Amino acid sequence: MTTALLEIEGLSKSFGGVVAVNDCSMTIHEGSVVGLIGPNGAGKSSVIDLVSGFEQPTSGRVRFAGVDVVGKRPDQISRLGMIRTFQTPREWRDLSVIDNVRVGRSDLESESLWRSFTSARRLRRQEEIDTAELRELMEHYRLDDVRNARAVGLSGGQKRLLEFARIAAAKPRLTILDEPMGGVNPVLGERIGEAIRELKNAGSTVVVVEHNLPFIEKTCDEVVVMDLGTVIAQGRFDELRDNKRVVDAYLGNDDE
Amino acid sequence: MLQYWTAILTEATIFGVLALGIDMIWGWAGDFDLSAYAYFALGVYMTIIMTVGKAKAPVEYVLGWHLPYLLAVPIAVAVVVAFASIIGAIALRNLRDVYFSITTLGAVWAIYYGVENFTPLFNGYNGVFGLFDPLGGKLSYNAYHYFFFAFCLLVLFLVYLVVQRLSRSPFGRMVRAVRDDERAASVYGRNVFWAKYRTYLVGAGLAGLSGGLFAAYIGAFNPLDWRPTEIFVLYAAILVGGRGNPRGVVLGSFIVYVGFVEMTRYIPSPAARPELGPALRQILIGLLIILMLKFRPSGLLPERLGTDGTSARRSWRTWFTRAKFLPDPRRDDVVAEPLPRVET
Repeated sequence: MTTALLEIEGLSKSFGGVVAVNDCSMTIHEGSVVGLIGPNGAGKSSVIDLVSGFEQPTSGRVRFAGVDVVGKRPDQISRLGMIRTFQTPREWRDLSVIDNVRVGRSDLESESLWRSFTSARRLRRQEEIDTAELRELMEHYRLDDVRNARAVGLSGGQKRLLEFARIAAAKPRLTILDEPMGGVNPVLGERIGEAIRELKNAGSTVVVVEHNLPFIEKTCDEVVVMDLGTVIAQGRFDELRDNKRVVDAYLGNDDE
Repeated sequence: MLQYWTAILTEATIFGVLALGIDMIWGWAGDFDLSAYAYFALGVYMTIIMTVGKAKAPVEYVLGWHLPYLLAVPIAVAVVVAFASIIGAIALRNLRDVYFSITTLGAVWAIYYGVENFTPLFNGYNGVFGLFDPLGGKLSYNAYHYFFFAFCLLVLFLVYLVVQRLSRSPFGRMVRAVRDDERAASVYGRNVFWAKYRTYLVGAGLAGLSGGLFAAYIGAFNPLDWRPTEIFVLYAAILVGGRGNPRGVVLGSFIVYVGFVEMTRYIPSPAARPELGPALRQILIGLLIILMLKFRPSGLLPERLGTDGTSARRSWRTWFTRAKFLPDPRRDDVVAEPLPRVET
């Protein structure tokens, strides 16, 4: 049994009268690729926002890497080793592609105002050494030809790949991908599936929120199904195929 | 004529320091700050009242010390930064874009009318003055002005070196990432407020420093000298030179202050309409901003892209791509079929 990296217990969130997340509990184990699925409005994105600190829960507990993260800011949670994406790629538009990856990679200490001023030369020399490594990364994600261009000019697909390159450079313990397949063509989809496996091989645990079920089946070791703000099933994809609650959640239930 | 040129170049140099500070706040961190002129003014006031000695009735102001100039300026800068730390903490905590600008606009006008009406502070509407010569009269009048111009130029050069160094450092890159997408920056562990706040304080400090220089240049200062709307001339300078590029910002300050503000003084005003010349100058500066935004929105020297040092090679590729000799790497199918790499 591997250790639990992310533990969610009794998490609830209401926006005014709307209950988005209702007593939701799940455990993500280190080293796995977990698909988080459910119909629209099931509360998947809300759970991600709560876990990553962009929203505060009404009640409940979230423990990441053994630390209680409720009440922490997104950047504090991120520094514990969690990186999430959003439904649309969020590149730093006026930075070059390679600088986007550099920011993903760079250690925060080198960004102190004082060190940036006093050790400028040493930091630059270090970056020149790192550049070789980054170029390999760029080549790997097929961004080599645009690496010195402004990120805003990339195509939608390239922005997705840039997102993966940035995550790979940051080497997080947990990666949460919010609909990585949104607006992606099938060829690129293959590449993204590959990128997720590569993240896993590099030692990151991955949570994927996605509507594309064949993709989830192919990519994930385990699936968590949500409906009406709570987890209704968790297990391997082929086990859940015949689960009545899961089928009802997706197709609707005639009994109601 | 030489003295005249020395005078306007000195002014352009001083405003170059101010523009570099404002560019850090706006160009790097993306916060359209409107209170920088108050930091500049505070720098001027503080420097004057700390060097010219006790106030003689009916003039009144606080402190009234007799400090040496080179000691007074750092203290003035410290006071400005302390002051900016309050306004910045309020305005940057949760406010962005136009809400941030409105807050800083409110701050600058509150300070402006406060200084103008609360006489015991800086002598209100009449302002503070005092002929002071940091060298204590060792040089002749003209020689002093040449010397002071050289001094300002040296300060501008040193400030430029510091700013350029920061601009190209990991700090400068991180602040720009925060500017481009705060949420993505916080996902990668960056404290958005702290990044913006630090940049704001350094920018305000430079505004205070330029105020310290201006104090010695002008020797008298009252609210008529710092209408907060004057800041748009500085924004014009930054836009012309190149937002986010320290070299461009210095260039822009010289173009706008020497080329526009000073040259347009010669626009003749008919005797019946003495306000025509100054009004035309404002119109010309507005026109300059519009034309720059239309034809060269990133300025004469655009913000430098951080590359891996091979951008020269990229440029001819870009040209061939535009000329359709090479496939456009920005097309989506490059993912399926990568371009052959060209080795040099």
